[in-house]
Amino acid sequence: MVTREDLTAEILSNAEVAPCHYLLALAVSPVYRDARPGQFVMLRPGGLGIPFLGRPLGIYSLSGHARGARIEILYRAAGRGTKVISTRCEGDRLEVLGPLGNRFTCFPGMDTAVLVAGGIGIAPLVFLAERLTTGPAKDRVRVVAYIGARDAATLLGVDRVRAFGAEVRISTDDGSAGHRGPVTELFRNEMGSFDTARTGVFACGPYPMLRRMGEIVADRPMPCQVLMEERMACGMGACLGCTIEVRGPGGPEYRQVCTDGPVFDLRDILWR
Amino acid sequence: MRPLTEVKIGSLVLKNPVMTASGTFGYGEEYSPYVDLNRLGAVVVKGISLEPRKGNPPPRIMETPGGMLNAIGLQNVGARAFVTEKLPWLRQFDTKVIVNIFGETLGEYGEVAAALTGVPGIHALEVNISCPNVQKGGHVFGCDPGVSGEVTRAVRSATDLPVIVKLSPNVSDIAEIARSCESAGADALSLINTLLGMSIDVERRVPHLRNITGGLSGPAVRPVAVRMVWNTVNAVSIPVIGIGGIMEAGDALEFLIAGAKAVQVGTANFVNPRVTMEIVDGIEEYLLRHGFGDVNEVIGSLKTG
Ligand SMILES: Cc1cc2nc3c(=O)[nH]c(=O)nc-3n(C[C@H](O)[C@H](O)[C@H](O)COP(=O)(O)OP(=O)(O)OC[C@H]3O[C@@H](n4cnc5c(N)ncnc54)[C@H](O)[C@@H]3O)c2cc1C
Ligand SMILES: Cc1cc2nc3c(=O)[nH]c(=O)nc-3n(C[C@H](O)[C@H](O)[C@H](O)COP(=O)(O)O)c2cc1C
Ligand code: FES
Repeated sequence: MVTREDLTAEILSNAEVAPCHYLLALAVSPVYRDARPGQFVMLRPGGLGIPFLGRPLGIYSLSGHARGARIEILYRAAGRGTKVISTRCEGDRLEVLGPLGNRFTCFPGMDTAVLVAGGIGIAPLVFLAERLTTGPAKDRVRVVAYIGARDAATLLGVDRVRAFGAEVRISTDDGSAGHRGPVTELFRNEMGSFDTARTGVFACGPYPMLRRMGEIVADRPMPCQVLMEERMACGMGACLGCTIEVRGPGGPEYRQVCTDGPVFDLRDILWR
Repeated sequence: MRPLTEVKIGSLVLKNPVMTASGTFGYGEEYSPYVDLNRLGAVVVKGISLEPRKGNPPPRIMETPGGMLNAIGLQNVGARAFVTEKLPWLRQFDTKVIVNIFGETLGEYGEVAAALTGVPGIHALEVNISCPNVQKGGHVFGCDPGVSGEVTRAVRSATDLPVIVKLSPNVSDIAEIARSCESAGADALSLINTLLGMSIDVERRVPHLRNITGGLSGPAVRPVAVRMVWNTVNAVSIPVIGIGGIMEAGDALEFLIAGAKAVQVGTANFVNPRVTMEIVDGIEEYLLRHGFGDVNEVIGSLKTG
């Protein structure tokens, strides 16, 4: 049974790493030792005003810690809740629920993983890049990371992904680093170089970017997994609040992002 | 000595007055890593209709100050799948299982009640009357005293299980509706369901919910709920179950002191999945601290001077 202790985390650090972007390190209970890329936590600074509900945030890294485990979260202070979280300091405690959701999966015979990240969508993909490059030799694959951001200042995760031995391709909206333009188009221009039978694509980013990925890979048989976002309350499949629509055998069906996802097959998504 | 915590809702005996609120605890299994269901007075499951329902298009929820809006649209697996796929798992626990039911017509209420009667492991039905009546232009059953009574009668005549009618707070005179359900044969009443609300994304000038309006729940609604429970307790002689914004034991005690025989905890589960057990412990601790030997001494003990 999950204990009260498992539901609290101690802040080890919470630093602004780019304008409005923070890297949060948490000491969490041993239940996180089995966390996998794609999984997330619900984070709450406490109190009953705003924020009231937990905020779903992906796991950016996992390592050992005396308390059980240390996880990192890379987040953008987007609205009121994440802004409150960004004001919390080392030694403070946060309420944390997790690890939640499913995970990115590889297919047999996959030898190349292409990551396509838009903005803060890089966060869960860094964890995936780490697992795909530092695991047992037989599980390692070539990783090519397409990383897009608004500008050079908010381009995050590049050094880490490089350190894992991944090939990195960069694009920014304003051209201040790498190619100028959407990361999806950079990927589209180069995707012909990947062997569709052995390449898995993993994408995370804003909704319009993921929808565009759907169009781009529509006529290529490459498996493609996406991390979907939806507002959440419980994070565990009980409230039925975090619904998205997918293609089912007999027509459109609803799925819960928190338990059926957050990772979905790109081709199953019915975009709104 | 540990205080006694058993309460009676008509013929239904609960080991303690703490239950989960429908729609906030799934079918129980979702919360089993966090909560020992054996410790709860009862588990009230997600609202069930005769046939499965897909629910509303997303987005379905939005956070609001001290609470949230939801327009889930009563998504559920339907009565048959509930009995074959969800109920067997719940049967292993030493707690009471209360099935929340609803329909779109008077007939459907009766049919779903009949379908769940005589099924081992179901101890009572809670009737959600905050649903639109498709035969009456979508007018919500529970907003009219006469229709509320008719729904109660339809369920009453279809089952021998204890019938708890769950009242909508979106009415002008809760006491009148409560009396109508009582005289139609309800064994108990529970309230409040969510308050109708709405919120708007001002940047995009669109409603936050695809359904435009939704039901408000959470601590923001608690004073409204306590007042309505108090009004209802004073209007009827059947047991009343208090619901609305309970986040901790003290909040549950407000309802008990106002006269509710038991409480249901809803939105708080999302914020703290262990909250129901903590409320059970907190009520016991309160009884000890105040020298009460039995929770029933606290129920209805409000001093109004
Ligand atoms: C599985 C998953 C993983 C995520 N991982 C990350 C991550 O690693 N880093 C990161 O910066 N962000 C991530 N997000 C997005 C993050 O959840 C939102 O940015 C955050 O909830 C916004 O909260 P707020 O307090 O800033 O905004 P507010 O405007 O105060 O939020 C109001 C409500 O809407 C919800 N909400 C708003 N935007 C989103 C969104 N995009 N997705 C889901 N709920 C939203 C909030 O949770 C809250 O309930 C993830 C989302 C999901 C679903
Ligand atoms: C996400 C959600 C789903 C709900 N679903 C149901 C339901 O299916 N049937 C029902 O009678 N009430 C439903 N309710 C209402 C709750 O059971 C409860 O009456 C209400 O939320 C007030 O209590 P709270 O403030 O403790 O949540 C739902 C509430 C929420 C937040
Ligand atoms: S957040 Fe409650 S079901 Fe997904």
